[in-house]
Amino acid sequence: MNREEELSQLGAGQTEYKYSYDPKLLESFENAHQGNDYWVTLNADEFTSLCPITNQPDFGTLIINYIPDVKMVESKSLKLYLFSFINNGEFHEDVVNKIGKDLVELMEPKYLEIVGLFYPRGNISIHPRFFYSTEDEKYKKIHEHRFLNANINPQRVG
Amino acid sequence: MHLSKIEIREGTRVEFHSNELLFLASSGQPYRGSLYVKFESLGESFDTVDFKRYITSLRSSTLNAEDIAYEIYSKIDETIESQNLGVVVDLSARGGLAQRLSFGEEFVVTQKNNIFQVG
Repeated sequence: MNREEELSQLGAGQTEYKYSYDPKLLESFENAHQGNDYWVTLNADEFTSLCPITNQPDFGTLIINYIPDVKMVESKSLKLYLFSFINNGEFHEDVVNKIGKDLVELMEPKYLEIVGLFYPRGNISIHPRFFYSTEDEKYKKIHEHRFLNANINPQRVG
Repeated sequence: MHLSKIEIREGTRVEFHSNELLFLASSGQPYRGSLYVKFESLGESFDTVDFKRYITSLRSSTLNAEDIAYEIYSKIDETIESQNLGVVVDLSARGGLAQRLSFGEEFVVTQKNNIFQVG
């Protein structure tokens, strides 16, 4: 299957934006370099959702790092998927884990991590991190290393 | 969305800044941006909680990007008497293009590294 056949949203004339959480928006394409381990980083600076208790808007940057196996996430579908959180009530910790699990289900990557750098609320910013690896020793080792060293250089946003 | 008026000392120069402006383009795609407001009081300002709610209400408003500065300017202008009111909006890039929109008094915005930076 070629990439045009794999993808329905990229290059579509009309884009439909959904305003409620929809993991079905995510699309993948085949990794053309499966014999070579490499990192892919996706930065999403415009992530927004709602506080599930107060309904106040939350904002943050999501940084997604992964080592692909067979499937890779297509970035336009990721954009639409992330926009779909706009009216969803989610704690920061839940939203990062939810997105991590959705991407694992979509791609089954060798390794994946997500950092959520949320804007401060009440003087406190929350930066949850999601980690995943396959059972392969090489990626388990990366997982362990990244997990143990996760917050050595804390970032600040706002 | 109503803004409540509050009394403040005349001549006070007031500035607001938010990195959390969001509204919808006619395509449905959200626009993100930073908002800067500046005015000099003639004895009035507006309640900041109401202003936050007003900014939040724009999340479900559909506007042309070029109209956002006027939308916010007119909301403030219809609420309070002030002088030298100016609104600047910096929008995130779309298709490689970033836009700055302004209405009213021109001023140089102070871009801060984080919301806790003073001055």
